[in-house]
Formats: sequence, structure tokens, C-alpha cells
Amino acid sequence: MMSQQTRRTALTLLLLLLFPVSTLAQSALQRVRQSGELRIGTDATYPPFESVEGNEFSGFDIDLGNAIARELGVKARFINASFDGIFPALQNGTFDAVMSSVTITPERSASMLFSDPYYDSGQLICVRRESEGINAPDDLKGKTVGVQINTTAQYDLEKREGVTVAKYNTIDLALLDLQNNRIDAVVGDAPVLKYMIFKSFRELKTVGHRFTDEKFGIAFAQGSEDLVREVNTALKKIKETGEYDQIHEKWFGEAAERAAEQEASKTKPKTVDFNLARRLLPLFLSGILLTAQLALISLALGLPIGLLLALMRVQSSRLIAAPAALYVEVVRGTPLLVQILFIYFVLPYFHIYIPAKTSGVIALTLNCAAYISEIFRAGILSIDVGQMEAARSLGMSYSQAMRRIILPQTFRRVVPPLTNEGIALLKDSSLVSVIGLTELARTGQELASRYAAPLTIWPMVAIFYLLLTFPLTRVAEYLERRWKTVTRS
Amino acid sequence: MLRRTRVKLQDTVSSWILKLNQEQDVIEVTDIVKRYGSNTVLNHATFQIQTGQLTTILGPSGCGKSTMLRCMNRLERFDRGRLKIGDVEVSGTEDKKLTPAEEKELTRRLRERVGIIFQNFNLFPHLTALGNCMEAPMTVKGMQRKEAEDVARHYLHKVGLADKEEHYPAQLSGGQQQRVAIARALAMEPEVILFDEPTSALDPQLIQSVARMLRALDDLGKTLVVVSHDMNFARRISDQVIYFEGGHAVEAGTPQEVFGNPQKAETRAFMQSFQEDEPLADAQPNADKLQSNALETNLGTRDNLGQEE
Repeated sequence: MMSQQTRRTALTLLLLLLFPVSTLAQSALQRVRQSGELRIGTDATYPPFESVEGNEFSGFDIDLGNAIARELGVKARFINASFDGIFPALQNGTFDAVMSSVTITPERSASMLFSDPYYDSGQLICVRRESEGINAPDDLKGKTVGVQINTTAQYDLEKREGVTVAKYNTIDLALLDLQNNRIDAVVGDAPVLKYMIFKSFRELKTVGHRFTDEKFGIAFAQGSEDLVREVNTALKKIKETGEYDQIHEKWFGEAAERAAEQEASKTKPKTVDFNLARRLLPLFLSGILLTAQLALISLALGLPIGLLLALMRVQSSRLIAAPAALYVEVVRGTPLLVQILFIYFVLPYFHIYIPAKTSGVIALTLNCAAYISEIFRAGILSIDVGQMEAARSLGMSYSQAMRRIILPQTFRRVVPPLTNEGIALLKDSSLVSVIGLTELARTGQELASRYAAPLTIWPMVAIFYLLLTFPLTRVAEYLERRWKTVTRS
Repeated sequence: MLRRTRVKLQDTVSSWILKLNQEQDVIEVTDIVKRYGSNTVLNHATFQIQTGQLTTILGPSGCGKSTMLRCMNRLERFDRGRLKIGDVEVSGTEDKKLTPAEEKELTRRLRERVGIIFQNFNLFPHLTALGNCMEAPMTVKGMQRKEAEDVARHYLHKVGLADKEEHYPAQLSGGQQQRVAIARALAMEPEVILFDEPTSALDPQLIQSVARMLRALDDLGKTLVVVSHDMNFARRISDQVIYFEGGHAVEAGTPQEVFGNPQKAETRAFMQSFQEDEPLADAQPNADKLQSNALETNLGTRDNLGQEE
């Protein structure tokens, strides 16, 4: 998908840019009361705390969030967001709170508000069943250890000397890599590791004890003090009435563990589980639709914009050509990921609020227009100058010659590279998951975590992408066939 | 035998020139200068061409003859001097500044009168022969599709390609492509037609059919200006020959005058070098003979401008 490096640099940059935005969030409680809903951001790839199947969220955080919202007299609405984009989204007001197994740290407390802790967790080490010699954090020296990106596990390990940290988008990918012998251990939140091992990583085991004491809290944007106060009151009440214990028992209690164990022993986890695949098939539908939609709309808008840019660039007037050249230079020279983040997270700073899907379409459109314009430009330049001269000598104006003679020939030539661009766009559209759009790749990510079945899910994702590219290829083939007579000359 | 044929041909040609000499000058080129940076391509070029004449601009490569031709259709602009075609007068860019609107209007009027057949024809490969000939009448003259189709058909028929209407350029031979290009130019009904090296992209066997076509066009009353470096061809077809070298017209006159009795040293040197090449040019004596004979016998019949090759 993208290099972690790019992703991290981009986010650091954005967080810096976004810092002043937090002052915009005002009277959070009023807003929540007025709208009647508490919007909670969550990265639903982290069972048993939070996971999603279709539109159904479930997990400890989800049950607790619902209870809190009920106490506030509103409804909870969960919004799925990738963990590495979740805090910027909180800052710019996409949701009122984040409940996503967020550990309260001094660094995070500097830029956000936290509720009272609602869950005591800690980091645990996980290794392959047969491995020996790693029992405590100190044993990790000289080893390669997998973590989920931007988690407290990562921060902790980075402070330890001699540990090589490998960062993964989701915890199940880290565990898969461990199982595949590529890394020596995985560090993560104890309950999550236990759940994952039960679910499908039977060749792994946890060792030692929790070596950190971490408290999960609900995160809020700065300026939401009144909302935090209310939430704390609600949390206190839920604990006093015993409801908290019930929820805890449901997800982490002995009973839950036994049930999980029983279920697990009944059905030995398979690497590739066809039954699961069949069952999950319909859950991909909305992701597939979103990906197709994003790619098609962006391509449809990017084509005319790209053509316009190309026509500007081939003008002899610098006044017309230079802006187009600059546009292409800038857009092509910056990562699509940063462009997506910019439109969604930075523009609100200038009081421009664009919904996630529209932001995604705009970013993809502007990005592909730059590449498409270069394809068109190359196509136009590849037409022999004699064609323009012949057209002009017959009395056609420049625009007539362009429209009637040059462009029709250009279109015939650029079909293959445009097809390439369309397919690339289809796959690049997966980047919009950072702004919380659950497109195809993100759907895969969520389901892979939820069912701890990356080896079943990712091949499905690949096949869906392949199927999506088919219509594009067919259209291209049709056009090429239709224009075949004239391409050779 | 070869010689005799040529003499006969020249006689025929000179009798036409006598007739044509009474007509007015349609093209006047006066003192035209054109530079590319420090390279002077046209250096005070001056000559006149009369209405209905077939004039060949002859000269070694790099002499500026093609640039001269392109200036006559405003595909190139010149720096100084004056070009007059019919009632359209163009001055050098250094002599007279034109606004973009004036430039556009001037170019439009010039191109309305002057068509050009390029060395490699530059047919529109995405259009059929018919489409090639219909495009400009529709977009430039605003003709309806039906009307443009009639015009295009008429001229394709004239050049003997009635059966190739629906063929794309890639499906046509070089000679056929050239005739489509001619029909395409004719469809705009210009008074003057420029030919840039009409024989160079074709097989030697086709040269006679080109010559025939040019003479037939001449008979339609068109003024033809042909750029060529082929002395034989020039001698065969021209009413007037202009010898070009160093960016200007060195010498002009009938083919007999220029070839038979060149006045200038440059012209003589070129003729001499050409004669040294003669064995090469005669490498296909049969074809040459055939062409000369065919040309002679075909001069009288002009229902069609060309025939099947």
C-alpha cells in the first residue's frame, strides 16, 4: 500500500500543522446534546476491543461506548477510522471522542484530553510456540520485534536499546510475520494478543507477564472539557451499578475465555478457510462498490482536467503553459497520501470542510489529472507536426485543427497508457482509508483482524481488485480494436 | 531518340508559355529575407510567377527553396521583404508589425487562395480518403456534410480515386496518397497550389504519372509552384524554371533558357554536377523513355487528372 516511512512523516507534518485547529472545537457537550448523538471514532481492527462486520460494530469499547452515550441521554454512533489518521480526525471535529484502546500517555495528553481510565491493560510478549529464551523485555535485545504502528508498544520498544522494531498496520499482520519466522517476537496489548492466538495463531504463545501498566482512556479534542466531565460521571455510574463488570465479563471473563477456547478446539483454525471466505463474501460488497465508485468518478473527472492541462502545456504562450506545468510538477512530486490528508485534515484549518468521500474523490481526481495530462501531452507531441501544418494549410484554425485532426489521433494512441493509469488509480484509491473511508483494502484489513485470518482475506481482496480491473481492460481492448485500421500509418 | 522526345516536348511547352505570357503576375516575391538565428535561409529572394503557369523552383538541397514555398503559405514567416499573391499582400515581420487579429485574418485570406501538397502528403490517418477531402470544406467553409461529400467525391473522381473513397491512408500506395492530398487541396478550390518535392517520396516509376497530373492541374487554370531538385523532372513539366541557390533566385526563365543557356556561374555549376550524376539518373532508361512517351501521349486527354498505376 505505502511505505510506513511516508505515512509517518506525513502524519507528523500534519499533526504539527493541525495543532491550532483544536481551539476550533467549542462547547462539545452542547453539540453532542443538540445533535443527539455521540460520534466515536474507532479503528475496528482490534478485537476483542473493537471490530466490525459489515456495519455491525462489536467489542468491549463498543458496549462501553453505548452505555456511556445512554447515560448522556444520546445515541452513540461509531465511525471507523484507520489508527494512524484517527487523532487528526478527532482534532478536526470528525468525531467527538475516540474509543480505540487508546493508552493514556503524557505525549498524547499534551495534545488531547482523556477521560478517566476505563481499562487496565499492559504490554505482553508473544513468540512462536517452540521458541525459548525470550521471557521478559530485556530478552528482546538484539531481536526484531513486531508492533502495530503508533501504539504504546512501539513507543516503549523504541526506547529500548538494541531492539529492532518492525511496524505493521494491524496487529494480525505482525503475528502472521512472527508465525512465518521473519521476526522474533510481537509486543502488544495483552487481551488482544490472547484473543488473536486463540482465534487463529495457534503456533504462537505469550510469555511472562504484562511488563507495562497501561490505562486505556477515551480521547477528546482540546476544548471539550465539559464533555469529558460528563463522560467521567457516566463512567463512574456505570462502574457503580455493576454494568461495567458485566461488559468486562462478557469480553474478558473466564466464561468468555472458556467459550472462545471451546469454539477454537471445535474448529481448528485453517490457514485458508473457504467457509469463512464464503461467509464473508457479502461483507466486501460495500467496499468494492466504494472502490469502484472512487476510481470511476475520479477517472471521469480526471480525464477532461488532464486533457485541459495537456492542451495548456503545449501552448507556446508561457502565460498559459507555465501554470499547467507547475500544477503537474507539484502534484506529481508529492505523495498522494499527503494530498488526501491535506484536503481532509488541513483545509478545515481554513474553514473548508469537505466530507471524507468528496475529499477522497477530489484528491484522486487532482492526482490522476496530473498523470493523465502527461499522457495526453505525450500523445499530442507524438503526432507528426505535419498533421498540424496540413490542417492549418487547409485554412483550419488552431483549435479546429486540434479538435478535428490532432486530438482524434491522440486519443487512439493514448488508450494503452490511459488504461494503465485507470488501473493504477483503482488500486491507489486504497489510500483514502486514512481518512476513514472503508473501501476494499480497508474492508480487508478490518475483516482480517476481526477473524484473525489474513491468509483468507487478503487473497480475496486481491481477486476483487483483479475483477474490478477487468471492465477497464475490456473497454480499452474494444477501443483499440475499433481504431485498429488507422493506428498504423 | 530520348533527346528528340525531349525537344518535341519542349516545343509544346514553349508554345504554351507564349500563350501564358500574356497573363498577369499572380505571385510577386520581392526581396524576402528570412533568418534562423545567425543562419540566413532566404537572402533577398525576388521572382514573379504568372497566373496559370507551372513554375519549378530548382536548386540544391539547403538552398532555401522549401522554406520559400512554406513562406508562400504562411507556414513560415519571413523577416523582411514582400509577398503578393493575388490581392493578398504580406510584409516581413520586421517591416510591419501585425496584431494577432490582423495576422489571423491575413493568414486566412492567404490560405484561402493557396493550397499545398507536402513532400510526405500529411494525410489525416484517422480519416478515409473521402473524410480527408471533406474535413476542411466542413470546418473551414462551414459546408453541410452532404455538400462536402459531393465536393470531396468530385475531386477524388478527378484524381482517379473514385473507388478508394472509403480507404484509409494506410491502405493506399504512395502515389494514391499523393492524389488524395491533391484532391484534399482542390476541395478548397485554391487559385495557387504549391508542391514540395512531389517526386521524392515516390518510386521513380510513378514520376510520369505525377508529371501528367501536374500538367492536368495546370490545364484547370491553377497556378502551380513546384519545388524540386530533380532537373529532368523540372525540364519536363515547367513553363518557368527558377534556379535557387544561397537563399535567392539566381536565374529564372523557360526551361530552354535555364537549362540550354544558363547565364549565371552557379546555375552552370549545378547543371554540370547534375550531368555528372546523369548515369545514375539513367539507371532506368526504359522507365524514362516510357515516361516521356506517356507524358507526350497523355497531354491531350484530361477527363481524369491521373490514372491507375
